[in-house]
Amino acid sequence: GLSSARAAEILARDGPNSLTPPKATPEIVKLLKQMVGGFSILLWIGAVFSWISFGIQLAQGAESPFDNLYLGVVLALVVILTGIFAYYQEAKSTNIMASFSKMIPQHALVIRDAEKKEMPADQLVVGDIVEIKGGDRIPADIRLIFTQGCKVDNSSLTGESEPQSRSCDFTHENPLETRNIAFYSTTCVEGTATGIVINTGDRTVIGRIASLASGVGNEKTPIAIEIEHFVYLVAGVAISIGVLFFIISVSMRYKILDSLIFLIGIIVANVPEGLLATVTVSLSLTAKRMAKKNCLVKNLEAVETLGSTSIICSDKTGTLTQNRMTVAHLWFDNQIYSADTSEDQTTQPFDQSSPSWTALSKIVTLCNRAEFRPGQENLPIMKRVVVGDASETALLKFAEVILGDVMSIRARNKKVAEIPFNSTNKFQLSIHETDDPNDKRFLLVMKGAPERILERCSTIMINGKEEPLDSEKAEAFQTAYMELGGMGERVLGFCHLYLPENEFPDTYPFDTDSMNFPTSNLCFVGLLSMIDPPRSTVPDAVSKCRSAGIKVIMVTGDHPITAKAIAKSVGIISATSETVEDIAKRLNIPVEQVNRREATAAVVNGMELKDMSLQQLDEILCNHSEIVFARTSPQQKLIIVEGCQRQGAVVAVTGDGVNDSPALKKADIGIAMGIAGSDAAKNAADMVLLDDNFASIVTGVEEGRLIFDNLKKTIAYTLTKNIAELCPFLIYIIASIPMPIGTITILFIDLGTDIIPSVALAYEKAESDIMNRRPRNKRKDRLVNEQLAVYSYLQIGIMQSVGAFVTYFTVYAEQGFLPSTLLGVRVNWENNAINDFEDSYGQEWTKYQRTYLQWTGYTAFFVSITIQQVADLIIRKTRRNSIFQQGLFRNKVIWVGIFSQIGIALILTYGLGHVTALNFTPLRFQYWFVAVPFAILIWVYDEVRKLFIRRYPGSWWDKNMYY
Amino acid sequence: LILLFYLVFYGFLAALFTFTMWVMLQTLSSDIPKYRDRISSPGLMISPKPDNALEFYFNKSDAQSYAEYVSTLRKFLESYDDSKQSQNINCTPGRIFDQNDVAVKKACRFNLSDLGQCSGKEDKTFGYSKGTPCVLVKVNRIIGLKPEGEPRIHCMSKEEGMVEINYFPPEGLIDLMYFPYYGKSLHAHYLQPLVAVQLAINSNSTKEEIAIECKILGSPNLKNEDDRDKFLGRIAFKVQMTE
Repeated sequence: GLSSARAAEILARDGPNSLTPPKATPEIVKLLKQMVGGFSILLWIGAVFSWISFGIQLAQGAESPFDNLYLGVVLALVVILTGIFAYYQEAKSTNIMASFSKMIPQHALVIRDAEKKEMPADQLVVGDIVEIKGGDRIPADIRLIFTQGCKVDNSSLTGESEPQSRSCDFTHENPLETRNIAFYSTTCVEGTATGIVINTGDRTVIGRIASLASGVGNEKTPIAIEIEHFVYLVAGVAISIGVLFFIISVSMRYKILDSLIFLIGIIVANVPEGLLATVTVSLSLTAKRMAKKNCLVKNLEAVETLGSTSIICSDKTGTLTQNRMTVAHLWFDNQIYSADTSEDQTTQPFDQSSPSWTALSKIVTLCNRAEFRPGQENLPIMKRVVVGDASETALLKFAEVILGDVMSIRARNKKVAEIPFNSTNKFQLSIHETDDPNDKRFLLVMKGAPERILERCSTIMINGKEEPLDSEKAEAFQTAYMELGGMGERVLGFCHLYLPENEFPDTYPFDTDSMNFPTSNLCFVGLLSMIDPPRSTVPDAVSKCRSAGIKVIMVTGDHPITAKAIAKSVGIISATSETVEDIAKRLNIPVEQVNRREATAAVVNGMELKDMSLQQLDEILCNHSEIVFARTSPQQKLIIVEGCQRQGAVVAVTGDGVNDSPALKKADIGIAMGIAGSDAAKNAADMVLLDDNFASIVTGVEEGRLIFDNLKKTIAYTLTKNIAELCPFLIYIIASIPMPIGTITILFIDLGTDIIPSVALAYEKAESDIMNRRPRNKRKDRLVNEQLAVYSYLQIGIMQSVGAFVTYFTVYAEQGFLPSTLLGVRVNWENNAINDFEDSYGQEWTKYQRTYLQWTGYTAFFVSITIQQVADLIIRKTRRNSIFQQGLFRNKVIWVGIFSQIGIALILTYGLGHVTALNFTPLRFQYWFVAVPFAILIWVYDEVRKLFIRRYPGSWWDKNMYY
Repeated sequence: LILLFYLVFYGFLAALFTFTMWVMLQTLSSDIPKYRDRISSPGLMISPKPDNALEFYFNKSDAQSYAEYVSTLRKFLESYDDSKQSQNINCTPGRIFDQNDVAVKKACRFNLSDLGQCSGKEDKTFGYSKGTPCVLVKVNRIIGLKPEGEPRIHCMSKEEGMVEINYFPPEGLIDLMYFPYYGKSLHAHYLQPLVAVQLAINSNSTKEEIAIECKILGSPNLKNEDDRDKFLGRIAFKVQMTE
């Protein structure tokens, strides 16, 4: 090996043997980004204007200039706090991920200074000699110089889960194909090997793929686009109304300074300050809910992306299937039986009365080298760990389920000789004593490739009797074999022979090398076929996807036949649809003559894909609704994803291997497998499936769609009261009445009473079956559409304003200022020197008394908006259904929201009513109820709206009123 | 269609607004407001009132400089003219004039002559030309207010010796007979009591700004020390006279 000194030298030259993590944005930049994004800019402008007007007022020596200073500070605080909050939320969800993907430090056995040493894998350098054994992760790219039965699992690199044997022989020009190189981050499944490190760190094959992945740009998530659209919309409204009224007020001869203050008020009233924080909270609530359902979301916005997904490109192994071989079919007595392949089988339902089955089961039990690892007696059979290869494991578990304790059966039928499976014989054989004490014969059992087994048989067992194997029976065997093979299953043949007692007495010395026993003219007993069966939840999930308008495409490295069989069994290819090849077979015409449009399904081989132009790929993606890509390479996966995106689809991709990471990154939402997935895949993905189960994706889709709907409701709820906050300013400017509501009061609504209710809408259950809808169209189904804005702003918002103004006028009238007196009084009302302002009854008011009354007005206006927001909250629970269909009490959080809203309002009015700076005053109890009729009106009106929408779908009303 | 819809919709809302406002207004009495808790204690105000801030600047030898004050005072006192008070009765001084049972509330006569040199009868310039300007102090009208004790107006200058203050009626007394007030509609001819404050500005204090504060004293239920309301039961103004 290398000397330590030399190794240190190389280490200094090449750097540590680890992948450079993708460059992270510095935390402070992230934080600042949160503070200038979205509405924050508008609020900053508002704050700066407040300070400017404060400065001017101070210079002019006016009496109470501090109001504007406070306002500016409050606005700045709001921006900073919401920024910090959003940043914190974001960071929290990233942290879950960070802790999750943290690699366990790896160690490697290295020969240095002629000594074997255990050292951290990142200290490895080129030229080091490392030893690996079964179960190890390969610590770097190594060229093997010594192997013993070494097999590696390259699935993280190539996607093929079949272990590949490795030797010291150079077999191929391509480093990826040759047998004498083992790659970084793959695992050694069995055997041992010694090798020389040839590449470390980023220069390894994996490292190159990983850097390729970071080269693929990250697309903006759909929800980010939607929110941006929404921000532009609201900011546009805010700025245009603000500027319009700035001009109006200047031309109405208000002072520039006053106009500036109006402008601030209009901006503050128009911007839903709390909304972006609310959206973040809602998303993280959903993320939490999804984490409980085994979908870990790395990027908060990905929560919704899944909901708008229209194509899912799914892996087969492990995602759609259980990732373990299971006996699926049996053939004996000339009949095919199917076995239960579900995850938690405890019995097998097929007919087990035939004596042939007894014979077959004996062979299955005895001709098997797999064993349960000890100490798992309490676990369900399917969950126990087995030592042995995939098919033997399947057979062992199968036997254990049906027969019970396999180990004791084996013990009773002592094994006297055994020939293990090898690729030349293609069979496995063992000879046993029988458990019948009266029967001194030995039993020879054999299993292997069906055609090889049949060659060695002269008889076949039918209903427990040996019958000669004539051509008719051989034909039956062929048919069954083809049928099982056609289902993509791995088929094994089983045969046995009772050795005659006289030829093979008790003491007969069996010798497996010379094979001093018969290996032909055996008795054929049956076939068993195995498959990696689909997860039991998958067919249901696929059909849910289908009804939800999501196309599921299977992309696998597997053989087309197996892929198609699995696709059929999970419903990716539905029972009625045919591929071009199927049609050709049915009509008995060559493949070329088939009208390609007739075939709804397609199985595309990786080889074909290689020769296809982009147009051809687009055509396939367009014309076939059910597609399976088989034998595809990772690079092709990326091509497929890009093809789907060219169709305008939102694409979700699942993957586990390092090689998948470019595709995961390219996809709108990359989903990595939590169990089987490599770290690189998890890094590139937006979401991690903790249970590797396709069905979890579907729940994710459901949650994503739900949150989109609920965000719509939240935004509708929040936007509504903006009008009720804006109208006072406009009327104040135009009609010159005393100010109905203060800027600070507005902030208390936006950031106080309204926050919890709008978050509560995120807990709302789906209105109707959202999984029966098509995925939303990115261009047409916006988060905030025209109808939503118009209905919230121009209808409910106006109703709220009317209700609030009635309260306002009531308060003033009952104190002595009739509405007629109020019009046009603004200048005198606000004049500090006028302290004998006369009301409608001849009483005279000092300035402070008026101001105090004005604050009472603020409070009344505030309370009215709050009360009407309760009604608004209730109507926003549904967009189409009646509240009573949805259930008024089903969402308890809404009630928490309502109580918090009223509670906060009570505290502000009565608790903080004496704090001058907040401009709240205690309010007479009855004023709380002035707006109640309007609240009820809002509710009734919305129920009527929904009723018409349900009654007359597609009508003018539906088009204009449904948001 | 959409326009029609909004026409109907807003028409309905406007009607609803009008209706609820009408209902609300029906519940109100036209005589007295429903609540008077926001004005439990009256504020003080002066006449004449300079345009924006309460600061008097005039030149005693330049009639133009105080013409506005004089005309304001004259106008203000018009309603106190004897000819206008023909319907008013002479009330018993020193006693609250309760008229709760009477349908037509009578107003008490306020004799302009009580204002002495500030009545504008003898001196048409209210003393401005002589360097003894008059300022009328009035108590804000509040319906139903009944002062206790013997309310009077007391003014003082912050700096001693710059000004000598005379009151009309003497000692700045406000007679209880002018209370309570029954509101504009019931008590149409009501005249609120006035106290004239004559500031005899010391001749060596001309050109200086004199800060004067007037307070209502002698009545336990009339506040004059509120932290926030600088005009509740008190008033501060400044006078600067040049020659």
